[in-house]
Amino acid sequence: MKGKYLVVLLIAAGLLLSVTLAVGAQAKTTLVVMIRGLDNPYHANYAEGAKVLGQKLGLPVDVLSSEGNSQKQFADLRAEIAKTGGNMVVNVDPNEAPDVVPIAKMLEDAGAYWVNWWNKPPDVKVQNYPHWIAHIAFDAVGQGYFNAKELFKTFKTPNKGKIVAIQGMLANNAAIGRFQGLQKALKENPGVTLLQWESAEWDTTKAYNATKTLLAAYPDVDGVWCANDNMGMGAIQALKEAGLAGKVLVTGTDGNPEAFDAIKAGYMTSTEFQDSRYQAQLGLTMALAAKQGKLDVAKLPAKYRSWLIPGVQVNRANVEKFVNDYIKKMPTYDLSNYFAKWAGEAP
Amino acid sequence: MATMNGRSASLGRRLPAPVAMVGTWSRRTGILAQVLTLAIIVAGFALGTRGKYLSWANIQTILSLAAIPAILAIGLHLTVVLGGIDLSVQGVASLVAIFVGLLMKNQYNSHDVGLWIIPIALGIGGAAGLVNGVLNTRLRIPSFIATLGMSWVLYGMAVYINRAVNIQILDERIFKAINGMVLGIPNIAILALIVAIIMQFIQDRTQFGRYLYAIGGDEAVAQQGGVKVEKIKILVFTIAGIVYGLGAALLACRLGVATSRMGNSLLFPTITAVAVGGVALTGGLGGAKNAALGALIVTALNDGMVLMHVNPYAQQAVNGVVLIIAVALTLDRKKLGFIK
Repeated sequence: MKGKYLVVLLIAAGLLLSVTLAVGAQAKTTLVVMIRGLDNPYHANYAEGAKVLGQKLGLPVDVLSSEGNSQKQFADLRAEIAKTGGNMVVNVDPNEAPDVVPIAKMLEDAGAYWVNWWNKPPDVKVQNYPHWIAHIAFDAVGQGYFNAKELFKTFKTPNKGKIVAIQGMLANNAAIGRFQGLQKALKENPGVTLLQWESAEWDTTKAYNATKTLLAAYPDVDGVWCANDNMGMGAIQALKEAGLAGKVLVTGTDGNPEAFDAIKAGYMTSTEFQDSRYQAQLGLTMALAAKQGKLDVAKLPAKYRSWLIPGVQVNRANVEKFVNDYIKKMPTYDLSNYFAKWAGEAP
Repeated sequence: MATMNGRSASLGRRLPAPVAMVGTWSRRTGILAQVLTLAIIVAGFALGTRGKYLSWANIQTILSLAAIPAILAIGLHLTVVLGGIDLSVQGVASLVAIFVGLLMKNQYNSHDVGLWIIPIALGIGGAAGLVNGVLNTRLRIPSFIATLGMSWVLYGMAVYINRAVNIQILDERIFKAINGMVLGIPNIAILALIVAIIMQFIQDRTQFGRYLYAIGGDEAVAQQGGVKVEKIKILVFTIAGIVYGLGAALLACRLGVATSRMGNSLLFPTITAVAVGGVALTGGLGGAKNAALGALIVTALNDGMVLMHVNPYAQQAVNGVVLIIAVALTLDRKKLGFIK
């Protein structure tokens, strides 16, 4: 009998200890990043940025990865709110645009401040949610435009030639915006013809297949515009097989490490780097400031509640310096002015 | 399929010699419907593109693009003939790709196993297939769930090992070998043909092949007839895994970059190829030649849609329609009491 009492006593003591520890842990605000998956450099870098900030501030960091599944994303967030008791700030890259509504409601109920990235239906207004500080997106039109212009420059007769385009997921905001940027560049350069475009859904293999087929139809093409770097890699391989890599150039967007190598090797003209480490640190810093009363969300003008930032433009001229400064080490970001990179209002 | 072949055979007795020969050949091979489908697609696109579709460059492109889906489909169709299915192709491909990236000459570590990567890739694929088989037979988990679960396990392992890095493969030997041609035919298409011939030979001429169709036709009868069903099933899943290993290694080398995402777009085209090739999802019908032909049909269709400027918004939907039609035509409904 004595043994049994001892076991019960030990379990009770253990429970008490864990509860005390849990309460103790809650005294510190948890930095939460919600991302789509850890299988690509872009999303994995959100987690890296958050961890560095957490170390600097001495705060715990939790990474919630939805694996492209909206329901998992909601369930993970609910669990995180229960775990922290709402003592957290969140940086969200939602799985799909409509997901921001349930996320906003959950975080509003929990009283947790947050910043959203990339996707939001235009009719959902940030101002309706007191704890939703801002929605920030990259200027996708600008990205598509910059890369198209860089590509056109490389033609035998600059700004005169024929291109094919590999588009991303057709219902995706970034893909639509980048393609609009390409259209804008085409309008300004009537000497350039877009022969055909295909969707490869951000996938390297599909981009390879599409480019290979397009090359059979148009062996005399002058350039391949791709909506992101992953697809650019597929296009480069198809060009290599046709003996055209380095002669017919490719563009991308995202700033993946292999894209920088491809620019150095002369296969790619340009890309635009989206620094998700900066995104995580900016979003979490703003949310922490709001939580600590240093940032009055209600007083922010509308243009600072939903806005665009530019990526870092990388081409042959700056690729070496860029890789040394940005990729080989994590830069220390100046987070004192949240709106330093403001580049326009977002819808 | 059976009635179609029977009909062509009875026609053959009354028709002139060449037609009779075609009838006999199609009865023997059971691919008449697929060859006809391919002919219709080719004729349609040839007209639609004013002959551009039949340019040698485009035919080379189709053969080259069909090769890897054909190899994967040859692996997957074995499990379908058995009466099951294997949904692990994406996970196996992702894991194999990561090992290919990390063990061949690359910029992240000093490994350089060279062409030894082929047996390594086959080994990893085979090991994954073995686990699939054991889960299916010993733990009696339906192949649909066992392989779907395994796909996620293997993908998770790939993500864990890979850490979101895109590994560039610097050894270009396999890439060059794939890219080479013999008499204008891409080497990789020849390789796919060899895989198809070997697999078809095994199915037609070996005891293993006979047992495979016996189990696919009626598992209970096969068991009563003394076939070691469990052993054959495990072997089938293992062989399927080995074939995926080959396909994945070739794909990674072709793309020159290995990522854990590499497998993500492979399942749908592979299953479509198997179904379009005339491998009945109810089991017991179809061989490697069907799977390979199915991959060729799907690739020819997609290539033609690009050349015809079919709206990219519609292309994916066309593939879905083709899959449903193919299954509708090949399903042996006598075997199905209820459709779930």
